[in-house]
Amino acid sequence: MNRTRIRTLLVKEFLDLGRNRTALVPVVIVTVLALLVPVAVTVAIPAIFGRGLGTDVGLVRVSEVVNAPESLSSDARVQLFLFQQFLMMFLLTPITGAMTLAAHSVVGEKQSRTLEPLLATPITTLELLAAKVFGALIPTFVISFAGLALYAGAIIAFAEPGVPSAMASVRTLLLILFVAPAAGLVSLQSAVLISSRVNDPRTAQQFGVLIIAPLAGIFVAQFTGSLWFSTRALAVLGLGLVGLWMLLLLSSVALFERETILTRWR
Amino acid sequence: MISAQRLTRRFGSRTAVNDVTFEVARSEIVALLGPNGAGKTTTLRMLAGLIAPTSGSIAVGGVHLTRATGAAIRTRIGFLTEAPGLWDRLTVRENLRIYGGLYGLENVDLRITRALDLFGLADRASTRTAELSKGMRQKVALARTLLHDPIVLLLDEPTSGLDPEVTRTVRLLLEERRAAGCSILVSTHNLDEAERLADRVAVLHERLVAIDQPAALRRRLTTGRLIVRVAGDPSSLVDTVHALLGPGADVAIEGAALTLRVAHPDRQTPALVAALVAAGAQILEVRAEMPALEDVYLHLMSGRS
Repeated sequence: MNRTRIRTLLVKEFLDLGRNRTALVPVVIVTVLALLVPVAVTVAIPAIFGRGLGTDVGLVRVSEVVNAPESLSSDARVQLFLFQQFLMMFLLTPITGAMTLAAHSVVGEKQSRTLEPLLATPITTLELLAAKVFGALIPTFVISFAGLALYAGAIIAFAEPGVPSAMASVRTLLLILFVAPAAGLVSLQSAVLISSRVNDPRTAQQFGVLIIAPLAGIFVAQFTGSLWFSTRALAVLGLGLVGLWMLLLLSSVALFERETILTRWR
Repeated sequence: MISAQRLTRRFGSRTAVNDVTFEVARSEIVALLGPNGAGKTTTLRMLAGLIAPTSGSIAVGGVHLTRATGAAIRTRIGFLTEAPGLWDRLTVRENLRIYGGLYGLENVDLRITRALDLFGLADRASTRTAELSKGMRQKVALARTLLHDPIVLLLDEPTSGLDPEVTRTVRLLLEERRAAGCSILVSTHNLDEAERLADRVAVLHERLVAIDQPAALRRRLTTGRLIVRVAGDPSSLVDTVHALLGPGADVAIEGAALTLRVAHPDRQTPALVAALVAAGAQILEVRAEMPALEDVYLHLMSGRS
């Protein structure tokens, strides 16, 4: 694998995206929504209705999974639980916005007739597909991490005392730096795989929507309290996702049929 | 430099290219002629390593094209695809720079500047390719094809849709590359271009129908008619021709020229000229009537159909 070629193609992806910024609007919108929703749920709504989160028996019960420091108030424990749960959503939802980019990646090159000259260079299928995945992932995470800074700022500004320091944990770091990127790679690699198997961008996007379904399931399970990942579980999950990504990458290479793409797609 | 041996490519039950064998030597331009769907693009794609032949073999610079050697061989090939295939949102320079990076070139900026100068695109370097005319886009695609100094050029309709001035620029450039030792295979519908440019012409229609020098191909259809243009009235020379070729010789007068059919032009023409001069004719021109390459092409194609 030649990293220079991957870097070169990544530069092309970024230049292209830089000139077509509207393609990133869905990612920005989803990030902003993912920022506003937790602040509204944990801070604004309780303040408006004058009822602390700690008075909700159901929330207090599900928030016990967090194993929060004893010193935290009942309100703070629930907030910590919600901020932790929303963090996963915050990190993963922008991927849904990037799905369009990934789903369009290969079929888009074919449609604009730029794929054939590209394949006539020494670039390998592995390099091409890796560049396509990272080309969608990196800008998404740049936006997502910028939003994360605001998310952290909101927690520091509005959360109950003790919540910000409780949030700064190994678990949080693991989620931000390992699990979320790994989940992003799996989702986007799936979208790129689909993009190289269908001959129409609309079909690719329709299939891309299906990839979002498992993420939605995770969110629902989280907020019912039936799904809580401990630090160790997150580490295992992250490793599993990386393994799955590598498997998907190799499958994408195996399933990438240059000849069919060049000769049958119109 | 390029060797294609018994190349066959099938798509399902359809055979696009059937048992095609040819070679393109160093410093040679071969034009690939054929109607739409004759297998020209498929042949070029196979030679570029983009699609594999169903059977047969390809060698470039003595190296057999296989899955393992494909990437290395592609560094030595410049393939101009049927469509320019430029990234529209990128500028001309950015397009070329990306390809320079993919080929792992050093001094990319210098090479790009040289290529831009060569094609008269220097003032368009910062223009997005979406804003360029068709001719300009084709020039950029050609610059991209030549950027890494390939030893083999595979060009699919390089002058399609270009104005005569740009066409001439492309032709001169290809002649330069030939002089530099490149092996060039160019697919074209333009018979005039093929005749002007190519050392040999290959006529493809699923199979290789013919491959030879343009003049040799034209000679295949030669009519055996000689045209002799003289000063003054040529009618007085008819008897001289009959005396030499026999009373039944096919002779006609067309303006200031005698036209006559001979069985063996190479052998009979000197004697004929000598006899006419001896008869007092002032000969201005003697030439064999040759069919145009277009006639040869159409003849070959009609034979196929």
